[in-house]
Amino acid sequence: MDAVRLWRATSGPFRLLMFHSAPSWSASTGVAALRTARTSRDARIRCCSSNVAAPASAAPAASGAPDRRRGKSASTSDRDSIRAIRLKKVEELRSKGHEPYAYKWDRSHTTQHIQDLYSYLGNGEECKEVFVSISGRVVARRQFGKLAFLTLRDDSGIIQLYCEKESLQDDQFEHLKAFVDVGDIVGASGSIKKTEKGELSIHVKSFAILTKSLLPLPDKYHGLTDIDKRYRQRYIDMIANPEVANVFRVRAKIVSEVRKTMESLGFIEVETPVLQGAAGGAEARPFVTYHNSLGRDLFLRIATELHLKRMLVGGLEKIYEIGRIFRNEGISTRHNPEFTTIELYEAYSDYQSMMNMAEEIVTRCAQVIHGKLNIEYQGTEICLERPWRRETMHNLVKEHTGINFTDFGDDVEAAKEAAIKALGIGSEDKDSLFIQTCPSVGHVLNEVFELVVEPNLVQPTFVLDYPVEISPLAKPHRRHSGLTERFELFICGRELANAFSELTDPMDQRARLEEQVKQHNEKRAAINPPKDLSEEKEKDADDDAYEVTLDEDFITSLEYGMPPASGMGLGIDRLVMLLTNSASIRDVIAFPVLKIQQ
Amino acid sequence: MEEDKVDVANKVAELAVDSSDSATGETISKNALKKEAKKKKLEEERLRKEEEKKKKAAAKPKEQAQKPLAGDDEDLDPTQYFENRIKSLASVKAAGVNPYPHKFDVKMTISEYIEQYQSLSDGEHLKDVKVKLSGRVMNKRSSSLKLYFYDLYGGGVKVQVMADARDYDLDEAEFSRLHSGVKRGDIVGICGYPGKSKRGELSIFPKSFLVLSPCLHMMPRQKAGTATENASAKKSEGVWIPGMTRNPETYVLKDQETRYRQRYLDLMLNNEVRQIFKTRSRIISYIRRFLDNLDFLEVETPMMNMIAGGAAAKPFVTYHNELNMKLFMRIAPELYLKELVVGGLDRVYEIGKQFRNEGIDLTHNPEFTTCEFYMAFADYNDLMEITEQMLSGMVKELTGGYKVKYHANGVDKDPIEIDFTPPFRRLEMIQGLETMANLDIPKDLSSDAANKYLVDACAKFDVKCPPPQTTARLLDKLVGHFLEETCVNPTFIINHPEIMSPLAKWHRSKPGLTERFELFVNKREVCNAYTELNDPVVQRERFAEQLKDRQSGDDEAMPLDETFCTALEYGLPPTGGWGLGIDRLTMLFTDSQNIKEVLLFPAMKPQDDLPVKANEAAQ
Repeated sequence: MDAVRLWRATSGPFRLLMFHSAPSWSASTGVAALRTARTSRDARIRCCSSNVAAPASAAPAASGAPDRRRGKSASTSDRDSIRAIRLKKVEELRSKGHEPYAYKWDRSHTTQHIQDLYSYLGNGEECKEVFVSISGRVVARRQFGKLAFLTLRDDSGIIQLYCEKESLQDDQFEHLKAFVDVGDIVGASGSIKKTEKGELSIHVKSFAILTKSLLPLPDKYHGLTDIDKRYRQRYIDMIANPEVANVFRVRAKIVSEVRKTMESLGFIEVETPVLQGAAGGAEARPFVTYHNSLGRDLFLRIATELHLKRMLVGGLEKIYEIGRIFRNEGISTRHNPEFTTIELYEAYSDYQSMMNMAEEIVTRCAQVIHGKLNIEYQGTEICLERPWRRETMHNLVKEHTGINFTDFGDDVEAAKEAAIKALGIGSEDKDSLFIQTCPSVGHVLNEVFELVVEPNLVQPTFVLDYPVEISPLAKPHRRHSGLTERFELFICGRELANAFSELTDPMDQRARLEEQVKQHNEKRAAINPPKDLSEEKEKDADDDAYEVTLDEDFITSLEYGMPPASGMGLGIDRLVMLLTNSASIRDVIAFPVLKIQQ
Repeated sequence: MEEDKVDVANKVAELAVDSSDSATGETISKNALKKEAKKKKLEEERLRKEEEKKKKAAAKPKEQAQKPLAGDDEDLDPTQYFENRIKSLASVKAAGVNPYPHKFDVKMTISEYIEQYQSLSDGEHLKDVKVKLSGRVMNKRSSSLKLYFYDLYGGGVKVQVMADARDYDLDEAEFSRLHSGVKRGDIVGICGYPGKSKRGELSIFPKSFLVLSPCLHMMPRQKAGTATENASAKKSEGVWIPGMTRNPETYVLKDQETRYRQRYLDLMLNNEVRQIFKTRSRIISYIRRFLDNLDFLEVETPMMNMIAGGAAAKPFVTYHNELNMKLFMRIAPELYLKELVVGGLDRVYEIGKQFRNEGIDLTHNPEFTTCEFYMAFADYNDLMEITEQMLSGMVKELTGGYKVKYHANGVDKDPIEIDFTPPFRRLEMIQGLETMANLDIPKDLSSDAANKYLVDACAKFDVKCPPPQTTARLLDKLVGHFLEETCVNPTFIINHPEIMSPLAKWHRSKPGLTERFELFVNKREVCNAYTELNDPVVQRERFAEQLKDRQSGDDEAMPLDETFCTALEYGLPPTGGWGLGIDRLTMLFTDSQNIKEVLLFPAMKPQDDLPVKANEAAQ
């Protein structure tokens, strides 16, 4: 299924690549082979284990493994021939005493800096007295006899290099013509000139090849539209699509703003272990590894919660951790096996104050990135003006289905029946089967909520007061029995944050975690044994075939007394998706985990 | 009325731990007191350990007989103590009261309180002011059933609580029932008014008092009255700053195992520990600020990889079930970060965890935190300057000067002084080694002759190099023996041979060497940096060399990362790359000899009594 989707996504643009050439680009390279090189496909990718293991000497050959799906074996040889030509240039440069991999370049300005400073120049005007020095990657070039134009891109933007034969020293113009290819990283210095056509340029007096590139860049105009390759070779994606690099700039800004917010409120950043003896704090399948010298299995953390709470016990009253969480689960547009969260804990506060905190963090970030609170996400206008809607889970379910789950008391069967009826699904339906396995009214409620309500929570909504059965770490509600003081924040139908008044009673905590373990084991036992299982079921069994253990030490710490507190976990990746208008989590993670490529 | 109370207050103030009267409090038997205190401590240590064991048992269904609740039960056996508290908790719950209230509306932190009311004159009370404070009770004293004293701790500082029945609306019986139920270690919320005792001790006088979270275990005791105790109490109240010495031997809670395994107790009882982790947080935030100001961009790269590259170390292996693939925990983010520089992010950094499947010792933990940054168009000379600026600036900000004190030879010896005044000393590796050991190492380091020469040199100086005796490893041992030993103040060891540095660029003028440096402080590597190798052809050759080392048994030689080499073929600009061990740096600034001192939850060997499996416990 995934493969099909992937193919559909890539086949369209691929056709485009075949028929649209970029005249200025291919004409200027002077290498005929380049014309077809655009269709080349790099089959050597991070996840291709057979290739990565290849010894260095065999590498050029290994790189030629054609991509079977597209069956373009010719492109690989084009790519290799370009590589060979450029390698020859490397040798020639060296023989002439030029190091094609320079050691350093002193920049006086970034391109953006120059654009800002000299945009006032009139067409044809020149600042002969200034002398600037810049560096970056050549992304395009045009050449007319004794004149060459190179477009140079650096971290901040682009600028044109105006290269005149008579302005350059010695034979540098010939050198440029013979050796500079699109993709090379060069340094250039000279004065500032706006061309007659109004293009701000560096009037180059001298230049140097800083890094000779060996492989051709993807098409300049259509960029890299092969989704799979974009993720596998992110650097090409970033070279071809500058806005991709921008997502990561924005991501850094968001994380930095979250930190600033926390610090301005007096929170201290701490680091808790990734490798743990027992993976607690959430319900998810953990990654397992083995520590040789300790001689024991360790789990990668699935949450930072239990260790941060120990810090509350220790008297650090306002703490947070921004860090990586690992879950051994499937990948999707919303899930990557490793992802980043912020978890924060504050003594003497409750979930009401955490709602304000969530609003504060998200709106501050939105302001920094967009300068406003009305933002667009995938075609939908999202209004982040505070306050956000706060509504209980029960009321939301009632609103969408008409079912009042408080009517059922403890009667699970009645709840199931009503739920299946309201959903209008047959008894063989997947969702229906799932509801049948729910062990409590709370679970049924949650199931209905996820199916019916969640996708409709587009504008920011705090969903309050989750059933105790599905909230093992949250404090019982101070007024409503059976519920907890918990909320989840939804924006665009996605959970962005999860928070509660923390459970501080060690007896209650022990009972709840034991119940969780029991339920997990029952589920395991229920799906497990009989051997005549279909493959589907075997896979399900596999999903739950991990062990859940109780973190005794955590409970001991609670016995020493944890102050009343509330805590929140907020998904950084999802926040970045929201604020960068990215449809997939892979767009906001520089190197997402991908399937092994055949 | 007011006068009366102040009088009473003064009388009993002598009972209070009051640092101001420590000099008069102990005249005759200072030593005897000390001895007794020590004895008591040892005894408690023993009890506490016992309690640890019994606690596990106590967690299982109770079979013990009931015991009457004692008024002051600090003499009880810890298990008994625990059970008593559980029972009283159960009775409170049975009476329909929640012993864990949801919220106490704290209006002010203790340090804000101190700041605001420190200026009260002795004996002054502000009865009309209403204050709400909360924190943990670390000491409790009473002179009568009508008057209780507490030391309330929060945010690393302390304030005295003086609960007088006459301030309450409750009748006396209820008042004493309330306060006899409060135990050392409980977290409480107090509503009261500020005032100062005649002796000048700032206190809060409660009008109501609420236990927010009871401490069910007997807290290791913080003893009062002895001179050393007061000294360390004073010290712990914020006087310690980074760069000063520390002595965990003087801590209330000394036992290392307990301190590391139950860090929350360590934080509660040993105030300096809090400062260590604050210092750690300040170091990291300094680095962030420093790099942000240079227009660096903070990024995140994967912690799980198909290949563990970028360094030489044994990786952790794990497995992704659904994708059906083996993954390695990263040992360094280097290769990914360089790919981002290829992609056009000219200045990037990442502060994060690395993982190495190696033994645990004083300077190694399986997971540790590093900062790596990559700066396009810069070389290792630029990076040395940046390093000097960053570290000297950091020391200055943290300590106010350039020098830090460090117990390099153990806490029983005098501390040394490490001077971070820039510029730092620079030491050529090969040349330095030749001078110091009087050697003449063959110029072609990849030759067999060089290898033989170094094997002989190691034998001559009795420098151990367990097999495989590759030239890189032999050199490393010799450098460790001769050069690193001299690097107490920050020193750059520079220009490592190519064979030791597969990712560093060959030196622009010295054949066989690379443009690399390592910064050593107190004989330990803190930074490692180089002008990045960006010639893909040479990079492949270097990986091939590493492969040879791997084949000769050095399983820490670097594996080839094909994706990375391909990225280089698209062109990596001239780049300087840099890595720093944050844990080791934190150790230096907090006078820590053990890496576990600077990790909140260090990796520990499994205990004999592993946590009971939950599914067993659930039965």
